[in-house]
Order: sequence, then structure tokens, then C-alpha cells
Amino acid sequence: MISFSKPAKYIFIGKITLRSQLAYVVDFVIRSLFLLLILYIFMQLWQTTFAGEGTTAINGYTFKQMMWYLVFTESMVLATPSLCTRIEEEVKSGDVAFKLIRPVSFLAFHYVEYMSEVAIRFVINLLLGSTIAFLMVGSLPVGAGLAWLPLMAFGGFTVNFMLGMLVALSAFWVEETRGLEFVYNKILFTVGGMLMPLELFPDKLQQIGHWLPFQTIVYFPARTAVGMHHGEIAGMLAVQWLWAALIGLVVWFAYRKGVRKLNVNGG
Amino acid sequence: MSMADNNRYTVGISEHDQPGKLRRLIRFTTASWRLNLAGAMEFRLSFLLTVGTMMVNNIVWIIFWDMYFQRFSVLNGWTMQDVMMMWAAAAGGFGIMSIFFGNATRLASLIVTGQLDVYLAQPKPVLLNVLISRMSVSAIGDLLFAIFIFLAFGNVTLLGTIKFTAALLLSALIFIFFCVITGCLSFWLGNTEGLSFQLYNALLTFATYPTGIFKGFGRLVLFTVIPAGFISSMPVSLIREIDLNFLFGAVGMASALCVGGILIFYKGLRRYTSGNMIGLRR
Repeated sequence: MISFSKPAKYIFIGKITLRSQLAYVVDFVIRSLFLLLILYIFMQLWQTTFAGEGTTAINGYTFKQMMWYLVFTESMVLATPSLCTRIEEEVKSGDVAFKLIRPVSFLAFHYVEYMSEVAIRFVINLLLGSTIAFLMVGSLPVGAGLAWLPLMAFGGFTVNFMLGMLVALSAFWVEETRGLEFVYNKILFTVGGMLMPLELFPDKLQQIGHWLPFQTIVYFPARTAVGMHHGEIAGMLAVQWLWAALIGLVVWFAYRKGVRKLNVNGG
Repeated sequence: MSMADNNRYTVGISEHDQPGKLRRLIRFTTASWRLNLAGAMEFRLSFLLTVGTMMVNNIVWIIFWDMYFQRFSVLNGWTMQDVMMMWAAAAGGFGIMSIFFGNATRLASLIVTGQLDVYLAQPKPVLLNVLISRMSVSAIGDLLFAIFIFLAFGNVTLLGTIKFTAALLLSALIFIFFCVITGCLSFWLGNTEGLSFQLYNALLTFATYPTGIFKGFGRLVLFTVIPAGFISSMPVSLIREIDLNFLFGAVGMASALCVGGILIFYKGLRRYTSGNMIGLRR
């Protein structure tokens, strides 16, 4: 078993990933134009909805808060790289053999790589999204909620990595995993609260959503950043990291079981 | 080679006793589709998973809209039924394009990488040959989803079926030839893979949101530069009740894109510079 000792090597993996991501910043900015398109569409949708309702707030969210909520959720989701594509390619090409014999933990290596990649992409998306939101609806009041965003987003991305890795590890058993990832992403879009806050869901679905880990990924950070329910921040962080630990444990067991089953051809 | 051999070869490539040009084209097109499907069905489990996944993807969007309409009953005159039919028209049109004319979205890449060479060497209409040579398996899920939505929630009468079929065909034509035109930009501007993809993605995204939410300049764009408005308006302006102005506009836009796409492709083809890639089509 590979130990997690000498954290310096993981710091170096993170640094290398950051540097390689910085080399493709322009390419990523161009690809992020989709974020502007989707924000424009949602602005039109919620503008029409607020006008139709004739109120200044829907379930506690003002129009401005709703738009900024979407900036945070969309920026997070669009910053996430596809773990399934990566692991599936490693298994199919046989490259996974080289990853497994390295003196680094397979899971920790992917976690550090994922988080470094996400960090750059999230910042770029946030800059782009904030610019368009600022131009369209004005600035978000800088409050205590916004200060919690980095920590909440860190936890959200960690839970997302754990769930994504759980899906990706199925590549050790089946060949095609991208379909499963596709379905997982769609769950995140809806039950996870990417498209609209959980408060707007029908009661039953809202209750179900609160018992699932998906709410911790984008809903918790975005809701906190737009200044909703400040009193619940400590509770949300606890729930977030509890899910991260629980799913992390399942990922660890799945990896140990899967790696024994894995047959590598080529490489 | 003997005279007898010569005669045999001459008969083989002669058009004598062969079906007419149109029938030969239809035979060629259907044979291409049949082979594409056979290739996709080679890996049954993967095929079913891909198709199923795409249906799940579309169903999730219907769930989102269902949640929305449970909270807000009407959206600027649009109901849940209209949104479902909008998704059926958009997914169905996209499905027809990607199943039967699957290379429409890859045209820019084919031009830039010199992969048109292989089609130029074959005695078939180049654009048709290029478009039908690929089939997207996942898009079968889109078309099945559209048919399922219509059968479950649409007006399944003779008139309703005719209107829905017309909506699908118009939507498919707009998708195909908009993608052809954006892909052809590569003939003049070099590598436009990114730009062509962004434009196609914009059409696809705008086509799946109710036209009723867009106003002013945004609405103008949706009925001109990115003609997604003609697809997303189908439920209220064609399927629910026929708005003749809209119908003429949609037919006009589809025809203009169709004629424009073919002309632009063949004009651009004159500027096409071949690559040195050696390819083989089986």
C-alpha cells in the first residue's frame, strides 16, 4: 500500500498541474464563452419570471441574488474536469499501470491534480461570470457570505471529486463510464440546485434533496455567497465535510476492490 | 485485356439499364444510413447505454421545467405542455441531423484537416456524401425522446401528427444547413472549429428555451443570425395553432439556409486545399 507520507510530492504535483493549466488559459477563456450565453438566457428567464410574479423576492431570493446565485453555480460546474474521461482513457490505454506503480497514492494524485485544475478554471469562470452579472444586474453586496465562498467551494469541489471518482472508478469493471457521468452531472444540475435553488423545489423534492450529498456541491457555496441564511454556515460546513469523509471512504473501498480486479493490456 | 472483358467493364459503369439519377441517389443514401446503423449496432450494450443516456439527459431537462411550472404556473403565456413540445421539436430536429447527416457538425474539422479529399475522389455529390457518412448513436436517443414526448403529451390526431412532422422537418433543415454554413467558414477563415462549435452550440441552446422570455435585440438575433427562434416557437406558432406569418417565416428561413448552405459549400470547395492525408472509406 502506498502511504500518504511526504506531502511535499503532492504539493509539487499540484504546482505542475497549475503551471500546465496556466499555459492554456486563453483556450479555456474562449471555451468559457458558453457561460456568458447561459447566464444571458437565465437572466431573461428570471426577469420574465419576476415580472410575471410581480414581486421583488421569490422564496427569499431577489432577482439580483438569483442571478449571482447562478454565476456561482455555473462557474463551479463549468470548472469541473471530467474524471471519467481521464480514468477511462488510462484504463483503456493501459497508462493506469504506470500510475499504479508510482510511489504516490492513485487517489491522492488525482485529487491534487483535479483541485489544481479546478482552482484555475473556477477563478476564470468567476471573473467572466461576475463581469457579465455586474454589467447586467449590478454588484453583489460584499458581505460575510462572500467571505465564506472559498472554503465552501473547496468543500463542494471535494465532494464533487469524491462522487466523480466513485463513478470514474467503475472503469475498473466496465469499459464505458461516460454515460454514468452524464447522468451524474444531470442530477447535479437539478437535485443539486445548479439550475435553481432548492427553496424553489416542490416540498417533497426539497426534503429529498436535503438528505442527499448533491446539495453540498454547488447549492451550499452559492447560497452562502449570495447572503442567504448566514446562521447555518457552520452546519452546512459540517454536513459538507461529513459527506466528503463518507463518500471518500466508499471511494477508498471501491478503489481497493477495483484495483485487484483490473486487467491491463498494453500500456 | 480482351474485348469481352472490355464490354463487361463498360456495362458495369454504364448508366444503361440502371435506375434514374434520383433513385440511385436515394439508394446510395439509404445504403449509407443502413451501414452506419449496422456499425453502431456492432457494440449492442454500448449502443443501448449511449441512446439511453441521451434520453435521460433530455428527461432531466423536462424535470427541471416541471419543477419550474409547479412553482410558477405560466411563463409569459407558455405552459408546461408548450415547453415539452419545444423540447420535442428541438431534440427531434437535432436528432434527425445527427443521425442521418452526422457530419454536419464536423464540417469545419473535415475542411481544416484535409479530410474532404476522400469524398472528392468519389462519383457522388460531395456535400451529400460528406453529410451522410457519419451517424451519431446518441442522437437516436434524442429522436426517440421527441417521438415519445409527442405520443405521450402531444395532440396525436392526423392534423396534430402532420403539424409535428412538419415542425421536426423544419427544425432539422435549420439545424443541418446552419451547421453547414458555419462549418464552411473554414474555407475562408482557416481553422474555425472553435467558432463553428460556439455558433452551433448557441443555436442548440437557444432552441431549448421558450422564445417568450427574449425581448428586444436578443429576440431579433434569434430570428435572424442564430435562427433558433424558428425552432423554439414551433409549439405556440405551429403545433398549438398555426400562425401563417410564422409558418412562412420558418419555411423561408429553412429554404434560405438550405439554398445558401449548398451554394456556400460549393463556392468554398473551389478554395479547398487538400491535405496530404491518405484516407480510405469502406
